[in-house]
Amino acid sequence: MADVTIEVDHLARIEGHGDLHLCIENGEVTECNLTVVEPARLFESMVVGRYFEEVPYIASRICGICSSSHVVTDILAIEHIFNVEVTERTNTLRELLVYGSYLQNHATHLFVFGAPDFLGYESVFPLAQTNKELFDHALQLKALGNELCTTVGGRSVHPITAVVGGFTSEPSSEDFLALADKLEAMIPFTEESVDLFAGFEALPLQTEGDFLAMVEPGAYPVCTSQNALFVRSDQEFSCQEVQEVIEEFSQDHSAAFLACNRATKKPYMTAALARINASWSNLGKTARFASAKAGLRPPELNPMANNLAQAVELVDVLERCAELCRNLAEPSFGGSSLPVEFEIQAGYGVGFTEAPRGSLFHCLELDENGRVVKASIITPTAQNLMNLEADMRQLAELMLERGASEDEIRLEAEKLVRAYDPCLSCSVH
Amino acid sequence: MKTSMNTTAAPKKKLAVFGLASCFGCQLQITNMEPHLLEVLDQVELSYWQLTSSQPKPNDYDIAVIEGAVTTQEAQELVKEIRQTASVVIAIGACAVTGGIPGLAAPRFDERVEEVYSSTCPQACGSLQAPVPVSAVVPVDFEVRCCPIDPRDFVSVLERVLQGSNRSISTATLCGECKRNERGCFWGRGIMCLGLVTRSGCSARCPSLGRPCNGCAGLSKDANTASAKVIATEWGIDPARFEEALEMFNQQSMEDNCG
Repeated sequence: MADVTIEVDHLARIEGHGDLHLCIENGEVTECNLTVVEPARLFESMVVGRYFEEVPYIASRICGICSSSHVVTDILAIEHIFNVEVTERTNTLRELLVYGSYLQNHATHLFVFGAPDFLGYESVFPLAQTNKELFDHALQLKALGNELCTTVGGRSVHPITAVVGGFTSEPSSEDFLALADKLEAMIPFTEESVDLFAGFEALPLQTEGDFLAMVEPGAYPVCTSQNALFVRSDQEFSCQEVQEVIEEFSQDHSAAFLACNRATKKPYMTAALARINASWSNLGKTARFASAKAGLRPPELNPMANNLAQAVELVDVLERCAELCRNLAEPSFGGSSLPVEFEIQAGYGVGFTEAPRGSLFHCLELDENGRVVKASIITPTAQNLMNLEADMRQLAELMLERGASEDEIRLEAEKLVRAYDPCLSCSVH
Repeated sequence: MKTSMNTTAAPKKKLAVFGLASCFGCQLQITNMEPHLLEVLDQVELSYWQLTSSQPKPNDYDIAVIEGAVTTQEAQELVKEIRQTASVVIAIGACAVTGGIPGLAAPRFDERVEEVYSSTCPQACGSLQAPVPVSAVVPVDFEVRCCPIDPRDFVSVLERVLQGSNRSISTATLCGECKRNERGCFWGRGIMCLGLVTRSGCSARCPSLGRPCNGCAGLSKDANTASAKVIATEWGIDPARFEEALEMFNQQSMEDNCG
């Protein structure tokens, strides 16, 4: 193959603005960049000096699609600083909020962004004609995620009710029960989706990077643990130490920071696939069964399997949320969600959640008046960029070996980017 | 006898959606109309929407929908190009309408860039400049306010664009709208709420859910901010704190409204 430069300006069907740049000279991959051109909004500087109450509200605006995750993560950082103990009910509502964004995100990513690649369309809209049932179900699932976020957070994007210490408002028992029924009713469709995505052919890549995910004994945690695990190197650490463990660095081609393990300088992936690799055995029974049937079991090193991992998580999320909703329908469950009292104090704290796209850390330092002194936000996509570029190089080399054409390499490269489900507006914040 | 209406129907207007510096939440809100999404989009020919389709940017379109604040020279040029191409420009969301949350970074902008990226700002950031709303660069024909937009407001503006309407848009403050919900008032409990000076139209969703208004619809033209600060003082809120809270969504549009 002659020298080839593959440029995709403005990758479509991903969240945010990014370009792909791949150079092949004499059959060798010489350059391989995901250029993140998302405009910098400078959140880490913008929140300095602001009063803590406003900070989760501002941080939510880092990303529309991950807004629930940013709000909850920011609140957790502040509560760590103020030593706030919230009730089980509040924690459960927060879990629902985070899961709501899983439904929104995974359904959007899998069907609106991802599936057209495998079905040979430019967008999801032709599916409305060719497979109306799939199209309708996919949109229903996404709508259900919106409904879950709206019921708990008051709005599908940028939740209103979640504040430091608790919630300002709660839905009724009837709302919770109605939601539980709807969630359960969608489980069969998500089981079929696992089969659908298992049926899409994926290039046999094997990432060399590590995997990072939240862990908790006996759980598939999303916002209830302080501990993170590098799965392949078996390195567990407390989120409060994240800035010592993870190194962020900047590069000219990316408006987002990149990240690596500070000790090993190695890249890693954090995503649904990392969670599957870390906590597969703690998935609910239905999801575990669907996953095993689809051939997804740890260790799964192919980053393209992240699509399948998200499909499996959809099954798990529906089952888990239905159970949480039924618990919450009991007004006495887990105490009150009204904000608990607390005292403002100075300090440093890290909030940690598993956002739909992976581990999310908000590191905050507050002064004695509750105003931000320093902020650092480490998003899943920023953490994934270095690993994605390494995998992209592997992909291009594999395609070259197979004698693939420029167009084929371009399409597969785009598929890999979408499999990572990057959220570039999160990554440049 | 049946006559074919379709043969005489005017061609659908071409619509293009652009995202500038934003969280993408308002574009997402449009997709969040799931059951109605296709019906809404069926009224136009969707010629460009990067979030949902890999079709390339076209050279012509009639209606441009712009989300996000203008934060780079490149974006400023793009907005001018859009204005020249489209006959109708709709700004959606607080970022595009008032500068929104990105606008918060406008004071000391260059210093902030250095705070985040140290001395070496990546080339990929482009030529950064202090954030401004779209209307600060080119005239905007229609706006959909709030952070995020309510998708129903988007539909109603789109209908206005396509079918026309002589209904005038209220510029009243939120308080009146909120009172009708009969959920009480935060001020009476010594809690600051920006509904006093913020543009109405959102049905006071936040106050209804126990959360004071943060002003995401932007200042109302009818707002008496000076008087609001006096009220704040009477209720024990430092007027400086009131002003600080207002910055959140009005940093880049305060002068227009308060001038």
